[in-house]
Amino acid sequence: MSAPAADAGKLVLALPKGRVMQASLQALRGGGLHLTAHGPGRALRHDAGDAIVIEMRNGDVPTYVELGVADAGIVGKDVLMEQNSQLAEPVDLGFAACRLSLIRPIGAAGTIERVATKYPRLTAAYLGRVGSGAEVVTLTGNVELACITGLSDAVVDVVQTGDTLRDNGLEEVDVIAHSSARFVVNRASLKLRSPVLRPLIEALRRLPGAR
Amino acid sequence: MSQAALPDGTRFVLPDNASRRAELRGALRELYQRWGYDLVELPSLERYDPAHPRASQSFKLADRDSSVLSLRADFTPALAHLVRAAHPAVAGGARRPLRYQYAGTVWHAINPELARTREFTQVGIELIGVSNARADAELIHLARESVRTVGLDPRVEVGNPGFVRAAFEAAEVPLALRDAVADAIDRKDRSDLSRLLEPLELSRESTDGLLSIPDLYGGAEVLERARADLPWPRTARELERLEGVLAEFEDASELMLDLSMARRLSYYTGVTFRAYTPDFGQPLLGGGRYDGALLPAAAGFSLGLERLLRAVARRRSATEPDPLVLALDDGAARRLRKAGVRVLRSLERDAEAARLEARELGVPFLLVGGRIEPLDPHGGDARNVQPLQALLDGAPEASA
Repeated sequence: MSAPAADAGKLVLALPKGRVMQASLQALRGGGLHLTAHGPGRALRHDAGDAIVIEMRNGDVPTYVELGVADAGIVGKDVLMEQNSQLAEPVDLGFAACRLSLIRPIGAAGTIERVATKYPRLTAAYLGRVGSGAEVVTLTGNVELACITGLSDAVVDVVQTGDTLRDNGLEEVDVIAHSSARFVVNRASLKLRSPVLRPLIEALRRLPGAR
Repeated sequence: MSQAALPDGTRFVLPDNASRRAELRGALRELYQRWGYDLVELPSLERYDPAHPRASQSFKLADRDSSVLSLRADFTPALAHLVRAAHPAVAGGARRPLRYQYAGTVWHAINPELARTREFTQVGIELIGVSNARADAELIHLARESVRTVGLDPRVEVGNPGFVRAAFEAAEVPLALRDAVADAIDRKDRSDLSRLLEPLELSRESTDGLLSIPDLYGGAEVLERARADLPWPRTARELERLEGVLAEFEDASELMLDLSMARRLSYYTGVTFRAYTPDFGQPLLGGGRYDGALLPAAAGFSLGLERLLRAVARRRSATEPDPLVLALDDGAARRLRKAGVRVLRSLERDAEAARLEARELGVPFLLVGGRIEPLDPHGGDARNVQPLQALLDGAPEASA
């Protein structure tokens, strides 16, 4: 569990693979960290200069940060809300903005019996709030498919532009929550490594679109 | 015999781990004992009480008369019960310090998500009957000493949820929104916080004051920043309370302050604190003052033994196992045990069978006819024969 001695003292950052990675690195550089590009090969953990970067699936970032394996990370608010993580979330980076919405086939009416989602906790809470007795089915892949194939009569998923929905004959009927990328920090690291993290947090908040 | 899986969130503790746990418990018990905290034992079965702070997390059981019992989820309510029974005057508000320590199993009926078990061991202390800065400081000091006692480097952060509560009063945050606002403050999420405050149309001063709370953590300079950012008499009183506690320390610079600690606002009434150690990402212990919640004046903290053990294990390299001897000679074995050596009794009748037994058990030495014999004469163990033999020869004849 402990980092090799050569890394001692370096900040460890958990960053999500894929599209958000480039935007995350750019934000962190904007925040004053000198981070080299990912080296050749597919190393999952690499020394990027001012920090050790570990690469993982979006949904794993809160776990790594909460348990202190990483000091900080970047992850969507949708994931944080779903996992109910005990983290400090000092910066809203503004990018990767999306809505978490209830989606149905265009023109669908009548009561909803079954909802498919990757966000079972938020979905159950939402259904409870609106007084629906619909059952929740947890999927991990493309949930729109559930609606198209009739597995469920609604889905709860993130929506960025809504183009994909329209192409598939679906529409947003209710917005449950708004999400964007957050800079998250382990609660112990925030205190114990504040000489590094505090200026970084200040600088990240000053980036365009951040707050 | 069936091989059914263990219930979720429970586990066995194997010998290595179990003895390390006992060591930690022993070290902490001794520390608290030296400070005058008396050990008490409390029942694991309680009457189910929906008003219990952890009622929703407790395992429920039906009693013979079909009343509902719950498994202990937290020691403080049971300890408060003990005080009401044994010291009714203190429970009624008389000023008299009572110091207790406890250790034992608690059960949480939760989804065992993220590295949490449902059955774990809590060790803690409570200082009941006096509510002042010196009592708070004693607990914070012992929180720090607890971490030091197990060989770790302590960092203690101190907060005062009363400060956030006072800010809510002064800024007139609607009651219905206070939990959500406190949660955003505790997560240091200024973005969420400003979204929550926007529709309230509070005064500019109130909004700015509340928005500054998430960043009010650090050293003693935080108090000055808090005075400047939240210029209200109510919040100033809470800052003075905190300063009173800090003044009890010769060197308060070792403490970290966090005025955005805002968990369980309705439970904690005074200072709260958490202890950390560098390079371990989770708090080792937590506690605070909860006057009026269960007793007129009470404060304390508890630590989870499992987590503490993980933090300790990260620091300590594998310890050399005690030399272990397998003995056919009961009299000599007694002498060695008296000298502090771990000696197993052979269950065989002759030396040849005992040698096989020792190899099977992985025991490095055999004691037969008053002589220590290494089982691998060419291995490193051979060197340790002399000290063991000397111990045996030098030890006085056991009388028993």
